[in-house]
Formats: sequence, C-alpha cells, structure tokens
Amino acid sequence: MALVPLRYNLRNLAVRWPTTLLTVLVVAIVVACTCVLFGLVDGLEHSNAISGDPQTLVVLGKRADNETSSYFDVDKAQTIATLDGIATGPPRTDAQAAAGWPDVEGRPLAAGEIVHIPIMTRTDGSRVNLTIRGVDAASPYLRPDFQIVAGRYLRPGTRECILSPGMSRRFTGAQLGSELVVTDKETYRVVGLFTAGGSVAESEVWTGRDDVAAATNRTGSVSSMRIRAASPDAAVALIDTLSNDNRFVLKPIRESKYYADQNLTALFLTFLGSLIAVLLTIGALFAAANTMFAAVKSRTREIGTLRALGFSRPAILFSFLLEAILITTLGGLLGALLSLIASRWSFGISDFNTFTERMIQIRIGLVPLAVAIAMTLAMGIFGGLFPAIRAVRLDVIKALREL
Amino acid sequence: MKFLGYILRNARRNPVRSLLTIGSIAVCGFLTVAMLSLFSSADQLREEVKGYDRVIVMSSQGFAQPVPIALKNEIIALDQARGLNAIARRAADGKPLISPFSWFGGKYKDEQLSLFAQFGIDPDVFFDIYTELTLPADQLAAFKARPDAVVVGRKLAADKKIAVGDKFPLKGEIYNYDLDLTVVGIFDGPENRDLRSCYFNWDYLNEGLLSKASGVGANNAGTILIKCASTALIPPLCQAIDQATANSDRATKSQTEDAFIGQFAEFTKDLQTYINLLGVAVAFALLIICGVAMAMSMRERTREVAVLRAIGFRKPQILGMVLAEAVLIAGLGGLIGTGTALLLSKNWDAIAPLTMGFFPYLRIPPQVALAGIAGSLLIGLIGGYWPALRAASIPVVDGLRKVV
Amino acid sequence: MGRPPAIILRQVSKEYRRDQIRIPVLSRLDLTVAEGEFLALMGPSGSGKTTLLNLIAGLDRPTSGEIIVHDLDLTRLSDSQISRWRSDHVGFIFQTYNLIPVLRADENVELPLLLTKLSRRERRQRARTALRIVGLEGREDHYPRQLSGGQEQRVAIARAIVTDPYLLVADEPTGDLDRQSAEEILNLMEQLNREFEKTIVMVTHDPNAAKRATRILHLDKGQLVDDVTRAEPSPPKVAESAASGDPPYVADLDTARRQEARL
Repeated sequence: MALVPLRYNLRNLAVRWPTTLLTVLVVAIVVACTCVLFGLVDGLEHSNAISGDPQTLVVLGKRADNETSSYFDVDKAQTIATLDGIATGPPRTDAQAAAGWPDVEGRPLAAGEIVHIPIMTRTDGSRVNLTIRGVDAASPYLRPDFQIVAGRYLRPGTRECILSPGMSRRFTGAQLGSELVVTDKETYRVVGLFTAGGSVAESEVWTGRDDVAAATNRTGSVSSMRIRAASPDAAVALIDTLSNDNRFVLKPIRESKYYADQNLTALFLTFLGSLIAVLLTIGALFAAANTMFAAVKSRTREIGTLRALGFSRPAILFSFLLEAILITTLGGLLGALLSLIASRWSFGISDFNTFTERMIQIRIGLVPLAVAIAMTLAMGIFGGLFPAIRAVRLDVIKALREL
Repeated sequence: MKFLGYILRNARRNPVRSLLTIGSIAVCGFLTVAMLSLFSSADQLREEVKGYDRVIVMSSQGFAQPVPIALKNEIIALDQARGLNAIARRAADGKPLISPFSWFGGKYKDEQLSLFAQFGIDPDVFFDIYTELTLPADQLAAFKARPDAVVVGRKLAADKKIAVGDKFPLKGEIYNYDLDLTVVGIFDGPENRDLRSCYFNWDYLNEGLLSKASGVGANNAGTILIKCASTALIPPLCQAIDQATANSDRATKSQTEDAFIGQFAEFTKDLQTYINLLGVAVAFALLIICGVAMAMSMRERTREVAVLRAIGFRKPQILGMVLAEAVLIAGLGGLIGTGTALLLSKNWDAIAPLTMGFFPYLRIPPQVALAGIAGSLLIGLIGGYWPALRAASIPVVDGLRKVV
Repeated sequence: MGRPPAIILRQVSKEYRRDQIRIPVLSRLDLTVAEGEFLALMGPSGSGKTTLLNLIAGLDRPTSGEIIVHDLDLTRLSDSQISRWRSDHVGFIFQTYNLIPVLRADENVELPLLLTKLSRRERRQRARTALRIVGLEGREDHYPRQLSGGQEQRVAIARAIVTDPYLLVADEPTGDLDRQSAEEILNLMEQLNREFEKTIVMVTHDPNAAKRATRILHLDKGQLVDDVTRAEPSPPKVAESAASGDPPYVADLDTARRQEARL
C-alpha cells in the first residue's frame, strides 16, 4: 500500500500552526494535570517502598493496624531487644560521631518508639496532624540512608528534635535553632535537619522517646518497635515468636508489608486520578476531533487529488489518523515535560490510614508516563478516527470540484 | 433579540463541531464542578452547624490523646461556679446537654478496615444535642433503655442491609475490647450529615474496659460534646474550660463544631490547592478549545461576514453576534456539565458504592453550580473574543475576495 | 440628460501595498454618474473595475480623491457611519450570490432590515414584497441550496432592494449563470432601473450584459479608456411620479402591503 508521506502531514500541521499549537497546548494541559496526580501516587508508593525493608519488622500491639492506634508495655520492648536473631549495630563512622549519632555498635538493632500526633500549624496558618516520633538509639540505623544535613543529631531527654528540610519549611517554629511549640507545655528545640532517602521518616519530627512519653503521660509504654532481623530466616523465627510466645502476643509485620498495607491514600489518589484522566481525556479528544474535522474540511480538494492520484482509502485514513496522533503526541510530550517541572513540588497529603500528614515528592515515574501515553493515544486515535473516516468517505469528483 | 434566530442557526451550522465543543465543555465542566464541590461541601456543612451552638472539647495534644470522662462533671461544675450557665439544659428535666463523644475506630463484622464512624455517646442526651438527627420515639426509648444498643444511620443501614434487631459486632482496634451491640434504631438527618455512622452507649464500652484486668483505655471520653445555650456564651465557656485545664496534664482545646470540622478540611489543604489549580488549568484549556472552535467556524465564514459587513452590519454588531454564538455554545456546555453533576448528586446514594467508599456523598452547593455556569459563559465570552474581533476586523473587500 | 448627478468621483486614486511595493490600481480618475443611470464597467482582469465598484459602494476607501454620492462625501465618513449609509442606501449583488446558507430565502432578504427599527411584521412583509418583485413568490421558505443559481441570484437581488436603496452595485451578477438565467436577471435589473429608478453600477465581462446598461465604461490599467452612453431607450413610465417626490418603489411596497393586509 502506498502511504501518504509523513512530510505531507508535517507540512499541513506547520501551515495550520496556530490551530495545531493551541490543540497541542490543550492536550499538554490535560496530560500535565493528570500526570501530576499520578506522580503523587507514584511518589507516595515510592516513598512507601523505600521505607519498607523486608528484613525489618514493625511490631505493633495485637489489635492495631498501624502505629497510631498501637501501644504495648515498654517491658515487652526491652525483652524483645534481647531475642536472638536480631542484627547488631554497625560501627559508628567518624562523620556520624561528629554529627552526634548514638553509638549502637554491637548492640541489637531494635528501637522502641512512641508516635505522638498533635495538631500543628503550617507556615500558611492551616492546621495539620503532625507525627512526632519519640525515637530510640537504634532508630536512625533502621532508616534507609539516614543523614544529618544540617546541625546535629538530637540528644534524648533534653527536648531536642530533628526533622527534614521539607518539614522545616512547612511548619512555624521548625527552623533550625528555633522552638517547635506543640502546646504551652510541650516544646522542642530544632537542633538538626535530616534526610532519610525520601522515606516516611522525612514526614516526621524526631525527638527522644522519653521526651514524648513525659509530655504525653505515656511513660511505660511504646507505640511500636522496629527490629532488624539478622537474616531472612531469623525474620521468620522472630515473627513466630512475637506473635505466639505468651510473653509477647504482639503483631509483627515486615516493614515492607506494613507500608504496602498503608495504601488507602494511594488507592484514593489513584481513583481520583483515574476519574480525572478519563474525563479530561474525553474532553480533550473532542477538541482534537474538532481540529481534525476542520483539517479534513479545509483539505477536501487535496483529499480528492490524493485519491485521484491513486492513494487508497486506507492510506488516507491512516494519514489523517497519524496526523491526529502526531498532534496529541506533541501535546503529550509537552504535558509530560510540564509535569516534570511539577515534580519539584513536595506535596503534603493526609494519610488516610493514620490521618497524619505525609510529605510526598511528586515523582514522574513509569505509572504517570504510562498514563500520559495512554491518554495521548486515546485522544489521538479516538479524536482522529471519525474525521479520518469522513475524509475517506468523500466522493472524489465532488471533492475535486469543492471550492 | 431579533438576531437570535440567526445566531441560533449559526450555532447549528456545523453540528458536529458545536456538539464536540459543547461536549468538551460539559465533560470538563462536570469534572471541575464535582471536584470543587468535594471541598466546598465541607465549607457548607461548617456554615450549617454554626446555628446549633455546639462545642467540642478535645485534648490540646491532638486526636490521639483522649480527655478523661471526669472532665465532663468538672465542666458542668465550672459552668455553674463561674455563673456562665452556658451549657444548654433540657426543658423537661433541666439535664445539662453534655455528652462524651468517643471515636471507637473498630471494624464491623469481618471487614478488614474501619470503614465508618462509630462513636460512644450518652444516649440520654445525644439526640437532644444533635437535634437535626431524627430517631423515632420508640427507638429512642429503646436506645436509652438497653445498654448494648446501637443506632445506625439510614445510609449505613441501607449499605449493609441492617434492620432493627440485628446484631452489630464491632472489633476494637484502638481499644482492646470488642463490642457486641444490637441495632435498636435507624436515625435519619440532612443529606450532608454523616448518615453512614453509628452511635452506641459510651457507658457500655467503659464498663467493658473496666471489667478487663488491665482497665487500659477506660474512663476516657475521647472528646466531650456540649450544646451551648446561645452563640454568645460559646467563647467564654471555651476559654473557661481551656484555662482550667491549662496547667494540668490533660490540657484541652475547646472549639466550636464548625472549627472542629474545619481542621479536617485543612488537613487536605494541598489536595485542595491541586484541585483549585486543576480548575484553573481546565478553564484555560476550555478557553482554548472554545476559541479554536470559534476561530475555525469564523474562518469558514469569512466571506459571509464580509457580505454582512457590505450590507451594512457594523463591527460591534458582528462582534456581538459571534460572541453571542460562542457564549451560547459554551453556556450550553456549562449547563449540561453542571446539570449532570447536580443530577448525579441527587442520586448519589445509588452511585456512592461505585466510588469504593471514597466519596460517601456529593453535594453541589448552589454557589459552585452557579460558578460552573458563570464560568462557562465567561469561557465563551473570552474564548470567542479573539475570533470575533478577527472576523469583524477583516476588511470587507478582502473578505469578499476570499475563496474558502 | 438633465438629471442631478448621483455619484461624483474627483481625482480618485487607489493603490495597494504588498511587501513595501505599491501597486497602483486606479489613478486620478474622474467620473460622474447621473441618477437613474445603469452603468456597466468593463475591462480586462486587473483593470480596476471591481476596485472602482467597491469605492463607489463605500466598501473601500481611496488613497486620494473625493467620492460624493448623493451629496455625501464618503471619504469623510467614519467606518460605522459608512456602514450605516450602506445599509440605508446601497444594495449589493454578487457573482456568487453570497446568500447565508443557514437562512431561508425570506430570512436572507430580511437580513438588512434587521439593522432598521422596523417591527418584525413589517420586516416580514417587506421581505415578501421584495421576493414577489423578483418573481419568487412561494419560495420564501426555501433554503439557498434548494434553489437554482438563477433563483439564488434573484433572492440576492431581493435582498439588495428590500431597504429601498438609491444605489445598486453588482459585481459580475451573471458570471455564474447559464444564458437563460442571465437574461432573466438582466431583465430584472433593467426593470429595477427603469421602473424603480435605481441607479445601478455593474461590473461585467459579458458584452451581452453590458448592452443592457444605459452607459458603458471601459477601464484599462486604472484609467477610463472609453465611455459610451447608449441612446436613451423608451423613457421610464414612472418618471413623473419619481419627480413628484414619491418614490415609485415605496408606493408599490405600500400597495402590496395593503393588498396583503386584506388577505
């Protein structure tokens, strides 16, 4: 089959450049809007994936599904730390020592932590459920790529806290050196900023466990405990012991599964995103169809000429369809680029499982790109099909006579 | 008005194009109106509850920290000692309208997640505080009489096919205790209230917790709900409560119900920002869509416009006619989009299950509906302006010569 | 001939600019057209005849010179004033008819009346009368695509006369028509000129069409090269009523309206 050369389409797009450009822009806006939301889902899932280590166990109270509603005796926590099969702490590097990290070399990597969720004020005046985590000595060693980027690590028992740079920007009194005020009686001094590979920890304020316990009258209990198993087999054994041993009767969950299960927010955003994607795609494909119908109409004579020259109907159908896809692809590319700019935006979202604030870096990964491609193709194919069909249905003689 | 017939004919001249443009605006308008309503319906609820003069006392440390039940009587005493008399009293017996309001957060039957709100309250006064919720008198009597009673909202009853007399087990997640309740009533209320919730006797939960050896979690009220005698008395009461507890280990934050609801909306602030930006972006895209469609129409009609100009139509008349056509098409799209959203919201109960529980109700506030229609008209006006101006400005002689 | 001049052109020049190059179309043209004349403009393509027609009809402005139509200097009018003047006093007939395809015949004719203060009923009646004059009674509710070329041109003529203008301009009115339709259209124009005293300026290539005019002007390269006034054919019967200040066309319209009111 002799195909109509692609150059012909490109020339036509160039000649009708204002319409082409504006249609491209519409597609770009629509794709960018959707990509950002899926980028948020991607960022959230990425953050959850990074946060979860399959060999680290999150130990919760028997009935709890997440740390917010979990608690058990601190005695149990201390006993857990003595169990066999828990990995031991690595030697502290000089840099870590300089930054004030606790030294846990040779001691079990087990951290009993308290989660405290006060309502705090953002810098813009709106309120939010903030996670304040009272941490143990091993806590930083149990987070991926934990680093102090400014100031130093906290000293427990002195009402000091550390948090991520993103959080520092977002909350009143969270700047390095200032006092983070929860209530009149509960304040923490910000002594350092940390990053943790984009994991959940970057959405939290860290302080000493005893500091939180004292402030919230929860001395004697912990919310959860994190332990790192020395080996995959040890993890299996630990899960069994913690679940069934009469001394504990707790709920150990692999950290990877724990975060994978906190998916209500991601599910909601995916649902919302799909809704937006489908509706906007329909809206924009109508616009693309309009442009293509006009293209067919204004080129009636050319189509007649092409047919008279011997190009087959399928060739013309394909040519117009290709032109539509070309327009939407340009738009899709531009939209994806625009959403890349948005990926610098860190987004605060309320986690639906724990009702706490999560800071998510929008991430234009595979899922948003797949969505962009799907939208682009849907708009191109469905927007171009009917105009293309109209083009091939034209009567050659009539088309040639058309003014 | 005499041009209307001609304008209507013009709008119908290229039916495919007009329908596609209308469809585009309708679909995107529907989306925008529905999205904007998600959050503004919370605003509307806040406005409505203002009239009920209710106060919620919670821990100053957030939702996760409960306030003790002892605080309830302390507040009553404080109210009298200070001579505030801010707490409303029941006309029949003078009982103060104050109740524990405790989030249970349990799982119903075999459900994997806690999917609807469950509160422990005082059955004796609760429906005197929430007067907009209605419960038949015999069911209310049963609710007050039976310790293990629970009343469920109309929508929850419909979703889970629950009838009076059914067992209603709730598995505790926050509390180390399972509730074995029996449905004694089904309450109803305004559409935008949470009718997928249930209320049970707080005493029943507390006695259950006390009966356990540890007694962990007992004697806590969660939050305390108060009905005030008048709006003016709310600020002094809140201030008095918060001051009295300030230096204890259970400092409180007392606020009006609408401020309490407002917190939840603020939690999702970035999402709201995104949706507002989405609305702006979509409006911009529609502006282009409408403008391009009108520009294509006008290009095909260049010669015709020139004829009109030759006959003596003046520029403003041409401009007005083209703009009217654009506004007509865009407005029709906006009307259909907003109308569809309104229609869906009216029948939302049938659709809600399809949203996997994420959108239990959709209510389009009148101002959002109006904004949707006004926005579409504006889109027509602005989007059509450039093509209209161009059409009106082409010199007659050039337009007449033009072969389309 | 003794009639007052309807159109006076003094030293009219027109040039177009295209990419810095000035293209002169008309140069220093003088022309006087008397009231009630039927003028044919002839000449090869690019001779400037359509441009001249456009200038007389107030569609275009000269680069220099004066154009006075019925004592009104068109060059001094604003764009909106000239639009109003056109709607009141000029009727247009085009080669390609230029009817609005979405409007019925009567609505097409009614179109110029939308610019007047007439009531809906009056507009309708005038449109009907105009259609009757061009012989299209009973075709009021036809759309242009349902009419033949000759019929379409008649609708266009009805549209041109419905406001009772004193000037009719026609650009190749028979150019797209077959011999017979062309003859009919020319008959109609002749009738409008004679019976209703319309001043007509017509651009044409067709010598047969030009023959119907009372005066034929030849243009070449923007200059008048020939000016032939035909011996006046039989003088119009209604000339006297015109002289008495009662325009026959309006009289005719009124009679028609009265007849219709009785029906």
